[in-house]
Amino acid sequence: MAEAGVRKKISVTVNGVKYEREVNVRTLLSDFLRRELGLTGTHVGCEQGVCGACTILIDGQAIRSCLTLAVQADGRSVTTIEGIGSPEQLHPIQQAFWENHGLQCGFCTPGFVISAYAFLSENPNPTDEEIREALSGNLCRCTGYQGIIKSVKAVAEKMQATAVSNTK
Amino acid sequence: MIMTKKGLGASVKRKEDPRFLTGLGQYTDDIEKPGTLHLAILRSPHAHARILNIDTTKAKQLDGVVAVVTGEEALDYYGPLATTINISNNVPEIYAIAYKKVRYVGEPVAVVAAVDRYVAEDAVDLIEVEYDPLPVVVSVEDALEPKALLYEEWGHNIQLEWKTTIGDIDDAFAKATYVFEETITHNRYTGTPMESRVCIADYNPATKHLTVTCSTQSPSQVRTLIAQTLRMPEHNIRVIAPDVGGGYGTKLQANAEIIPCVMSRILGRPVKWTEDRVENLLSGMHSRDYSCTLKVGLDKDYRILGLKAKLIGNIGVDGTCQGPGTPALLVAAAYFPGPYKIPAYEAEVLGVVTNKGPYGAHRGYGKDIANYPVERMMDIMAQKLGISPVEIRRRNFIGKDEYPYEQISGPIYDSGDFQRLMDIALEKVDYHDLKKKQQEWRKQGRYIGVGMAAMLEPSGAAVFNGVFNGYQPATVRMTPEGGFQILTSHQNIGQGVETTLPQIVASVMDVDIDDIRLVYGDTDVTPYGLGPFSSRGATYTVSAVYEAAKKLKDKILKIAGHLLGADPQDLEMVNGHVRVKGVSSHEASISLKELGNKVYLWPGPYGTVPKGVDCNLECTYTWTSEVVKWVPDEHGRVNLYTTHPTGVFVAVVEVDVETGQVKINKFIVSHDSGTIINPMIADGQIAGGIAHGIGGVLLEDLAYDRNGFMVNADFQSYLCPTAMEVSDIEIHHIECPSPFTPLGTKGMGEGGAIPSPAAVANAVEDALEPFGVRVKDLPLTPERILEWINKGEVNHGRS
Repeated sequence: MAEAGVRKKISVTVNGVKYEREVNVRTLLSDFLRRELGLTGTHVGCEQGVCGACTILIDGQAIRSCLTLAVQADGRSVTTIEGIGSPEQLHPIQQAFWENHGLQCGFCTPGFVISAYAFLSENPNPTDEEIREALSGNLCRCTGYQGIIKSVKAVAEKMQATAVSNTK
Repeated sequence: MIMTKKGLGASVKRKEDPRFLTGLGQYTDDIEKPGTLHLAILRSPHAHARILNIDTTKAKQLDGVVAVVTGEEALDYYGPLATTINISNNVPEIYAIAYKKVRYVGEPVAVVAAVDRYVAEDAVDLIEVEYDPLPVVVSVEDALEPKALLYEEWGHNIQLEWKTTIGDIDDAFAKATYVFEETITHNRYTGTPMESRVCIADYNPATKHLTVTCSTQSPSQVRTLIAQTLRMPEHNIRVIAPDVGGGYGTKLQANAEIIPCVMSRILGRPVKWTEDRVENLLSGMHSRDYSCTLKVGLDKDYRILGLKAKLIGNIGVDGTCQGPGTPALLVAAAYFPGPYKIPAYEAEVLGVVTNKGPYGAHRGYGKDIANYPVERMMDIMAQKLGISPVEIRRRNFIGKDEYPYEQISGPIYDSGDFQRLMDIALEKVDYHDLKKKQQEWRKQGRYIGVGMAAMLEPSGAAVFNGVFNGYQPATVRMTPEGGFQILTSHQNIGQGVETTLPQIVASVMDVDIDDIRLVYGDTDVTPYGLGPFSSRGATYTVSAVYEAAKKLKDKILKIAGHLLGADPQDLEMVNGHVRVKGVSSHEASISLKELGNKVYLWPGPYGTVPKGVDCNLECTYTWTSEVVKWVPDEHGRVNLYTTHPTGVFVAVVEVDVETGQVKINKFIVSHDSGTIINPMIADGQIAGGIAHGIGGVLLEDLAYDRNGFMVNADFQSYLCPTAMEVSDIEIHHIECPSPFTPLGTKGMGEGGAIPSPAAVANAVEDALEPFGVRVKDLPLTPERILEWINKGEVNHGRS
């Protein structure tokens, strides 16, 4: 507990806004986002890095914010669910989840949307099996994954169609 | 043409989704009042021990710690946990924080309130407790021996004991051509909602009001339990349930929630407790964990003559006050006969307490216990008789013309058609072709199996003696501008009620669902009523909302008739207007907005509202079922469930005989839940239920060692199914409307979880038929599968 009182100044850009804050060095990034910045869309489901509910992007990479310290985000750029889309302008992934019943209670949803976002950036044309594997680090207890897989497939197909029509 | 979103039967996109998709939902942990203290709980490392001494001195000295409270100190502020249900149960005297003795690993022993969770957890590590360990009761055998007594005052470890014999059971077995007996077991597992339990309690010492914000399925029921346990006037307690991150039955009690309540009562400040995953696995509600011995007598044509069921449940520490789990064993006893005609029946139930965690509800609530052993038994009997598992089921199904069917054990089944459901399932899975191909695949070293289970899902329980009764009020209200609110205690826990309940009102009023909002989750706002349990939404709440909407429509038509100078009988509601039937002229019509405005604002009610009609554009209806019968007859029979979805589920699996790995290739479901409100949401419920079933049969196991220590209390070792384990699920519906609900709807949230374990186990046995494997204990881990294959090979070698 010697380190409990140690505080450190950090500078983090979250969803395009730069925040400078002094934090306790042992503060989890998930707690920093939720309690310090009030961005409660990032959810904590297990605090063990298994369930994926707290997934966010750091410099474009999907990571577990419950296994990351706030000080590790110093000088980096974070994207949370609040930075992906808004109710007025849903991101195509969010829109696809809505249309394909990709969510029920909604608690795991931000983590799934972010994981799908990171995955589709790397693999815009995935097979069903690749989608299942990519999302296997996120747990959902409501949907049985049917609507989620359908959603990711639908958005990938849509993105492909857009890409094709753009190249024409 | 612009499609208005309304009405029954449409797969309307959910109204609640945009906030969840954008991170703008609000779950309990997202809420924090200024000045809130955070709680951390010291939990017992022993399964069974006396508490000799608790020293909190060092913990209290830590900077940032405001209070440390032990079980003994809390006694000044509360009594024993109130009873949730009591049906012939032994009810223990048990407290939210352990007093004198701990009875399971993870039981709360002392509670710290501090400025933040980090400091609170540091302080927990500084509390020193002296325990005197006692012999530990883990198994049913330990409990019956008894190795030790959990509640000394009982003199035994039996929480529930019940028996009934109906018909001449001895004669049935004497006449039987074939008699089979098997003991079938099921592992302990639970729902693990992604949002664990969270509770904020805020007691104001001046007003003596207690506001409790928590992640619960049942705000009104929780309010009652808190009032009883804290001995506070219930009218001074307000329970708020914001967005709830899943429940599945596990959030239907107030045991852990009592801890923040008592801490805030002591401190006069808001306090927050957010359960972590380890706490949730140790002390959240557990389910299943039973052994069931079935004896079945068949005549020469394979028709069942008699069924005997002996069920022994390992409850754990308690299933009456900590959680409502124990009566699930009685539900099983009422439903072992399931979809089949049984001329003579005997059931014996024994529920024992052990030093495992609390027993509660989890998707199935005994209906799963009734299903798994019987559906396994059907397959085992078919194998032994050398007949098809389809045939043995078909010969015993209740016929479609026999509904309403009074089952021998008491329940009255409303409607269904199992033969047709079986036809559909077989056709869609291409059963006969699969069975042919199976032989070819085996020659190639591929072991693919197909397994089925018939499903009966009693829904909408009306449980007497406690907080799970059979009534539901709903209020439907029109605003001055012609929009609608629905007020009900039926909590949204992800099942889509913010969409489906407006669909009901939309169909009555002929308005768009965007003009209707469901208001719930606040006991100060909604009528006192019950939350979603027992899949009661489409049975009770939908019926209440429908009847309340009809009452309000009647009132609106009377007022409109007065305003239009027309007979209300001649009026109809069309697209947000009331008009003379079939007439589209402006004079013969009034918009709901105009009507609301006239009644409430310009000019107001005098002269606007006809004599004999009050001006409140709001109606409440409390729906109760006409078929519930809760006075037991001479055999102890009751009828608690109003509706019964039915189905046939087929699983296709492949077993890797080298690794023991089971892969589910697909699930085919044929399903009836009466009138369907929103097919997309209904399918989502079935798929989610199947995932729980797959978890239970393949992966999930709350495993205790001989010392009563849970060996896998985290998500790294307690494995929930991922997208890799849940196969594609194909669902086909038929609609057999229930004659017992006004719209023919049947609650249907558990039907997926009930039959899927048996379907998978039967499929695995079918895949491994060449090895003579008999599926025994669950879950079907690769280690177990390999052991059975090896044993099977040995037996085959010898024969």
